[in-house]
Amino acid sequence: MSDESRQNFLNRLRIQKDLEKFTAGALARHGNVEDTVARIAALERRDQDFVYAWVELIARSNHELAAHFIGRVASAFDKMERSGVEDWVDQAMTTFDNRGLGFAIEALEHVDDFAREYASRHVRCGFDDASGFLRHFVRGLGGRELRVISDQSTFTDTESLYLPDVVNLYPEPEQNFTIYKLTAVHLWAQTWYGTWRYQVVEQLIRQFDDEHPMAIFNRLECIRLEACIARDFPGLSREFRLYGSVGEAGDALWDEWRRRASRLAEREASAADSLALVEAFGELPLPPLRPFEGDMFAGRVRQALFARIEREKSAFQRAMQELRDQDDRGEGGGDDAQKQLVEVEMQDEAGAGGEDVNFQLTIDGEVTAIPEHMKDLMGSIMQDFGEIPDDHLEPLERGEYSDALLPQKGDVDGDDDPDLNDAGSFSYREWDCVRQRFREGFCTLRELSVPPGDEGFVAATLDKHRGLLKSIKRSFEAVLGESRLQRRQSDGDDIDLDALVEAFSDVAQGREMSEYLYTRYRNQERNIAVMFMVDMSGSTLGWVNDAEREALVLLCEALEMLGDRYAIFGFSGRTNKRCEVYRIKDFEESYSSAVRQRISGIRPKAYTRMGVAIRHLGQLLQHTQARTKLLITLSDGRPEDYGGYKGKYGIEDTRHALLELKQGGIHSFCVTIDNEAQEYLPHMYGPANFAVIDEVEKLPYKVADIYRRLTT
Amino acid sequence: MSTPAIHTEQSLITNEPYYEPVADEVAVFTAAYRNKLPVLLKGPTGCGKTRFVEYMAWRLERPMITVACHDDLTASDLIGRYLVRGGETVWVDGPLTSAVRNGSICYLDEVVEARKDTSVVIHPLCDDRRLLPIEKLGEVLAAPPEFCLVISYNPGYQSVLKDLKQSTRQRFVALEFNYPGVEVEQTIIEKESGIDATGARQLVKFGHMTRNLKGSGLDEGASTRLLVNAAKLIHEGIAPVVATDTAVAQALTDDEDMLKAVHELSRSIF
Repeated sequence: MSDESRQNFLNRLRIQKDLEKFTAGALARHGNVEDTVARIAALERRDQDFVYAWVELIARSNHELAAHFIGRVASAFDKMERSGVEDWVDQAMTTFDNRGLGFAIEALEHVDDFAREYASRHVRCGFDDASGFLRHFVRGLGGRELRVISDQSTFTDTESLYLPDVVNLYPEPEQNFTIYKLTAVHLWAQTWYGTWRYQVVEQLIRQFDDEHPMAIFNRLECIRLEACIARDFPGLSREFRLYGSVGEAGDALWDEWRRRASRLAEREASAADSLALVEAFGELPLPPLRPFEGDMFAGRVRQALFARIEREKSAFQRAMQELRDQDDRGEGGGDDAQKQLVEVEMQDEAGAGGEDVNFQLTIDGEVTAIPEHMKDLMGSIMQDFGEIPDDHLEPLERGEYSDALLPQKGDVDGDDDPDLNDAGSFSYREWDCVRQRFREGFCTLRELSVPPGDEGFVAATLDKHRGLLKSIKRSFEAVLGESRLQRRQSDGDDIDLDALVEAFSDVAQGREMSEYLYTRYRNQERNIAVMFMVDMSGSTLGWVNDAEREALVLLCEALEMLGDRYAIFGFSGRTNKRCEVYRIKDFEESYSSAVRQRISGIRPKAYTRMGVAIRHLGQLLQHTQARTKLLITLSDGRPEDYGGYKGKYGIEDTRHALLELKQGGIHSFCVTIDNEAQEYLPHMYGPANFAVIDEVEKLPYKVADIYRRLTT
Repeated sequence: MSTPAIHTEQSLITNEPYYEPVADEVAVFTAAYRNKLPVLLKGPTGCGKTRFVEYMAWRLERPMITVACHDDLTASDLIGRYLVRGGETVWVDGPLTSAVRNGSICYLDEVVEARKDTSVVIHPLCDDRRLLPIEKLGEVLAAPPEFCLVISYNPGYQSVLKDLKQSTRQRFVALEFNYPGVEVEQTIIEKESGIDATGARQLVKFGHMTRNLKGSGLDEGASTRLLVNAAKLIHEGIAPVVATDTAVAQALTDDEDMLKAVHELSRSIF
């Protein structure tokens, strides 16, 4: 026996003895111990240590299980890395704890299945890994903003892209990620290149209310979209080709379909052409869908489409009405808006489908500039119709105009309320855009206190957003840490050469020498007072209210660190006689337990009469001492109150109140979660003075971030 | 004794700067100049504001002095100061003073960044008085008809601390700039970088994609300047996707998801 083999032999003996000792003899009952030991002995030293450690650990729970582990561990190492083996034992131990020995042994025995599953878990690409990227990517491609959502089926309803939970088709994670991307592009292409135009959807549902024709249409559209993408996105097209193979027979079928439907590859082809071909392809066998192609659900599309068309039509008409009104005013008051001739001309650059379109809007023969938010709206309408339909251009009939300017009636009943005349009530004027003048003393406002809520909410929020709070605090610290060199100080760290030279020249000229000759690093003093005005209208009921409260908690934590002076008020009300603001925190108050309880006690109340709240809180802000004064509104929609305070009237009054603040040197900013805010916020707050947050959950983070950006 | 800090003959622009007019900005600027009105240029970064001023300076055959404003820029940085030379004091004109003396075009870039006290010197210069008081010299300079003050700022900044005061902005003729239309932008990229029409068109398309992302993750989309930079790299033989990654994506954001999105958008075109 050579030295080496002798060494090996001794080694195996030692291992066998050790393991038998650990398992208290259980190992001996298993057949083929020698072979098992030999395989363990062949492992690397580190892996052996790993086995020892686990055997000892498992044996503390159960000797039999430890013996089973020893029997399988070598094959586990054949199939997986150490971390995989660890997962494998770990899940067996969990099974043992929960379901007992039998199931645990079974779990150990299925090491092959586990290894396969483990391998796939590490190459697949999950929705969460890709969704952040996909959202940006699809937005960048252009067109209407699309949500990205994970779902059982893969399809689009033209508002969202529904993508699979996980993609696990290829051995490399990178490849699976690409499939995600291509799937999203394919679905996006359906919305961009007119698969779901209104006319097509109508005809599709009328003519083919069956699965098979739908499947044919889907494949024909695949061919058409493939060609569109090849024209516009050569890079993507290369990837589509790379991942587009479905086996020899499948590819041959696709080629056959492509040959027969060759006119779909032409630039002028539209979804209507695909539709026209469906019957001709009825008898042909269907080629299998490629990995990045999804299903089509015309019903779902129709639902989303119809809802959107209604919404966008009225939004468009409202916007047009505003343009007309402006035009009227410019010409000294045209008598009847309906007489105006409106034309929308499109300078389409590349015929059918997709391409960016330049609009030209003509009112009474005069070219009118299209506001930015209207361009998006028109783009979206174009995606649905391929044009701006004539009925969109018809003026709203005054009667059905939801924003109709109703005469404002004072609330008479309100006078019965005994509280109205108490000391805590204030009276404010309101801007009447119909009369173009103020209604003096029209609104009565009371300052109330929010009933304290459960302080546990604050603790829960801090816990829930632990990580977020840390990052908010860090970024706020960076603001504080920004020290800067202050010149011309009476004392300091270093000599200010510029000042010294100047002083010297003064002396030389016989003037008095300045004593401010030093530089000093110092944190810039923040001198900011900020008022948070929180929407407590009924519409915030539910998660908006939760998000608002969470945002306030995080904000308070951060603001305490900055040392900015801040106050928080809620606002709501019902009619002009019962406007209410709710004190949550005064400028003078510290962030005490009472304040925390009030934040937690914020509950939705009634309506949103914004103007009067802004005037009142602006007054409070005006009376505080600070160099920079800021009013930040958290809201979920446009101003609205009982009795005609809505639409244009509400917006104009709010805008007026904000202008009054601006004249007083107060900056205002609005954070909203209303997706239609683009229509009215620029008008109310100014183009750069608002932020729209698309997901409510993001509110707490965004508010802090916006505050930091605003004040640095 | 006085020494100019800037030699005006050096700041005369002799070669025509390349500028592609978008609307009637050339005519408006010329008219404002003839009427001795100061001009305010608004617009996002990299859309051609500085190039436009250079072009106008060349067209009007006036020297041009540019001051990039920063938050430590004080009034005396603009006007000038006394220095000591061999035991004697010497006055040195600041850029604004030399511009006034020589009837140049003075361009204050990103003026909101400067300290608030600069408005003291800008204001009397920008109304019909057109005077520059130099306190240290006890002198009041009257601006010659050739002098013109141009300032620029980017209204997209959301910080309330960086806003142009009404009393300042209401002294100017304001010209709004934005990124040029598809064809003009393509021409600009071609002419500035020397790449072919196809490449330029693809870059314009890429630029539009990044601008779609403005507000949903990016503060600004790719400016024309960034696209031109990328085009220059491409012209040097750098692969297009690498060029857009380095010249555009990295310049726009640090966010990983966003970088990846911009990278993939570029790959989808080239």
